[in-house]
Amino acid sequence: MVAAGLVLLLLVVLVVVPLVRLVQVVAEGGWTGIGSTLQAPGVGRSIVNTLVLSIVVTMVAVPLGAAMTLALRRSDLPARGALRLGVLLPLLVPQFVLGYSWTQAYGRGGFTDDLLGVSWPLVLGPIGVAVVLVVNAVPVVALLVAAGLSTRAEPDLERAARVAGATSWTALRTITLPLLRPSLAAAAVLTFVVTLESFAIPQVMGAASGFTTITTRIYRNLAQGSDPRSFVEAVTLALLLVVLAAAVVGPADAVLGPRLRTERAAQPPGAPVITARTTASRALAGVIAGYLALTVVVPSLSLLAAAVTRGIGLPPTPDNWTLSYLREALTGPTWTALSHSLQLAAVGASVLVLLGALVAALERGRRGRLLGAAVTLTLVLPGTTLAVGLLIAYGEWLGGTLSIILLAYLAKLWAFAHRPIAGALDRLPPAETQAARASGAGLLTAIRTVVTRPLAPALIGAWLLVFVTALHEITMSSLLYGPRSVTLAVVVLNNQELGQVGSTAAISVLLTLLLLVPAVPLLMIIRRLQRARSEPAVDGRRVSEVAGAG
Amino acid sequence: MPADHRLTDLRPGVSTDVLTCTALTVGYHDAPVLTGLDLAVGSGEVVALLGPSGSGKSTLLHAVAGFLPLHAGEIRLAGRTVATGGGGLPPEARDIGMVFQNFALWPHLSVVDTVAYPRRRRGVPARRARTEAMEVLARLDIAHLADRRPAQLSGGEQQRVGLARALAREAALYLFDEPTAHLDTHLRAAFQLEVTSRQRASGAAALYATHDAAEALGLADRVAVVGDGRLVQLGTPAEVYARPVSLWSARLTGPASVLSAVVTPGSDGTAGLRIGESQILRTAVGMAGSRGPAGAPQRVLLRPDWTSAGGPLSGRLAAVTFRGPHTDHLVEVGEDRVLVRRPGPPQHGVGDDFAWSIDRAWVLPL
Repeated sequence: MVAAGLVLLLLVVLVVVPLVRLVQVVAEGGWTGIGSTLQAPGVGRSIVNTLVLSIVVTMVAVPLGAAMTLALRRSDLPARGALRLGVLLPLLVPQFVLGYSWTQAYGRGGFTDDLLGVSWPLVLGPIGVAVVLVVNAVPVVALLVAAGLSTRAEPDLERAARVAGATSWTALRTITLPLLRPSLAAAAVLTFVVTLESFAIPQVMGAASGFTTITTRIYRNLAQGSDPRSFVEAVTLALLLVVLAAAVVGPADAVLGPRLRTERAAQPPGAPVITARTTASRALAGVIAGYLALTVVVPSLSLLAAAVTRGIGLPPTPDNWTLSYLREALTGPTWTALSHSLQLAAVGASVLVLLGALVAALERGRRGRLLGAAVTLTLVLPGTTLAVGLLIAYGEWLGGTLSIILLAYLAKLWAFAHRPIAGALDRLPPAETQAARASGAGLLTAIRTVVTRPLAPALIGAWLLVFVTALHEITMSSLLYGPRSVTLAVVVLNNQELGQVGSTAAISVLLTLLLLVPAVPLLMIIRRLQRARSEPAVDGRRVSEVAGAG
Repeated sequence: MPADHRLTDLRPGVSTDVLTCTALTVGYHDAPVLTGLDLAVGSGEVVALLGPSGSGKSTLLHAVAGFLPLHAGEIRLAGRTVATGGGGLPPEARDIGMVFQNFALWPHLSVVDTVAYPRRRRGVPARRARTEAMEVLARLDIAHLADRRPAQLSGGEQQRVGLARALAREAALYLFDEPTAHLDTHLRAAFQLEVTSRQRASGAAALYATHDAAEALGLADRVAVVGDGRLVQLGTPAEVYARPVSLWSARLTGPASVLSAVVTPGSDGTAGLRIGESQILRTAVGMAGSRGPAGAPQRVLLRPDWTSAGGPLSGRLAAVTFRGPHTDHLVEVGEDRVLVRRPGPPQHGVGDDFAWSIDRAWVLPL
């Protein structure tokens, strides 16, 4: 089939060729070359740092995210809805901005230093990097655990345990947690891999203090090193990174894959197990609110303050406020970078929604399932590795252009578009299509009239997801850009490296708020589409009135 | 609708009652679902909660179990207060067992471990708990399923395991939340028989929620009809079937036909019914206290077993439906339609004149 052939061709061009070229370059040096590269000063340290960081962040983020989700979904906390949204906030913030805002909040000369005279010098270093990576990973863990709760561990199961004599802790220990094991394991694998390939946070918060990871070392080699040895080192490390990721994901997928296939359709979130606001639940809500305040609210305010304060070291009081940085951010070279980012994100999102829908449709068939699995695998391909591979494979023709950055986005973000669309297709009741066929519609008409409308929210959601992720993307852009293909994320990174706090902060604010431009209207469209689809339920009381109350 | 409890037998609260609900108002955060409910379940008694979806049956069960706090009122189990408007005991501290509508079996535990779970929570060591669980399973004829997981069981088997799990708790009161709602029709009768025999054998009390009138009438010692946010009627199955307090209640508790007739009460429980212009009949007619003005037509309830074929009345047949054991005839009476059942296959066609008669009737209160 033509469609399957196209998908295969794209996968080869975007992923297989770069990886193969990577291996070729490394193989040229042979095992001795690899050995001497890995023994170069600092390389071993960065590898150990990366592995230790990934393990530590996973061991903290998974229990923390799981505990918060369980508290927010199974206990009756005040302001549950608002807190649940708050926990997901870091997903909307670019990783760079999250890291940078923390340095502005808690570093020396930062927000808390100005206001309270208290600062946390360790924020610039491995501990700060680890903490912010945890904050970055918790929302993803929360989403996976929430999905596990609604498909695997419904509230009634816990209620049955309570009424059989179990306290809430025993019910959690004997019923809910065992049922969540596959979701927790999946969350751990994902957190590990995401931390393994993270670039922006270690770069912003660790590089200055000499803390290097594999990704920051590759960046330093390619962006600042010009000798062949730096290049070989970067390529070898890039290959090592994907090998490490595969080593974790491969066995995990083999063990977990069958267990993660959902046996039941997801139920709506449902009421908490016991609806009762106790002092304990109020305290818990306070703790979570405090966590959100410290990890998201204070850094965001600090960033805003830094964006409008005239100079470093001046307290963020109104008489020191200036709009010049924000104005600068919207003019000149920054504006060009902004338009590049918007173009890349828009084109990438539009193309990938089509490709994602194509793969989701192909997955219905036998052979298409392999293609779907291949696309999903790109999720674990480290961005750095992909960027280096694309440079080697196509750098001659496309180096320094926007096109090579677009290729990188297409490869890395394809799965981001494919998963939500595939999920929505799965949940589409087949009876509706059958009803259309039985009413006289041909296959294409049935799809057009009955499938696209309910699928629209998923398509729009996928577009938005890819758009925002591409807009925030910095790992690959920082390696692939040229003087005429600068993206906004790269501008922010360069400003930060030059130590220009005001402009860095201003552009960070811009970068974060930029997603609101397409997000607000699109989310309103989604809500309108979903409201039109579901009818209000008729409740028993109205039925009794209709039946002629005596 | 008048809440006329004078019509029915409301037992005064006895201190040995297993469950006592007093002036209960329950609901979720925004709105109450049931208000001012008074209900008692005596020792060894089965009380059915009969009501349509959304009437608050599950809400009441959740409140008794301890999953939902009370807006107002009090719940006592065996005389001991377990919940008031201010708070209450957690579910594990209440002496109750519960059978769920969706079975709520734990996917990761085998059947014997599931049934052993309540014993383990009472501190019984694992091996003895399993032995005791096997005994319960044997009593319900499902011992052969001991090592299976819920995914390997049919719906009927799953619900039996749910019942076994509840029985393993050896509670004084069992709560049933529409347990047959997701079972195939032919399995429902078997499950109901099982519940009745287990309940008689153990002497425990039960509060059984259902929207199925036949189920409620068959299982219960008393039926509590709930709707419109409150307890509408409380009485024995025969009472709620033969003397419902309203048309809504009548429709809920069984097949109901209503016609307009002028009622002239006589002596010894009989009355004259004048239907339309010409048809007059004297028969046993029950009525509650309040009546409309004399001479005006009132609404009269006829159950299918209160009418018979052949007799002084006649009407045109609007529909004739063969049901197997009997045939349903829908007779036009003025603007109303009355259901008359006749054993055996149909002997009339649609549009024929049909002779029928009324053996007894109930005047619906205003």
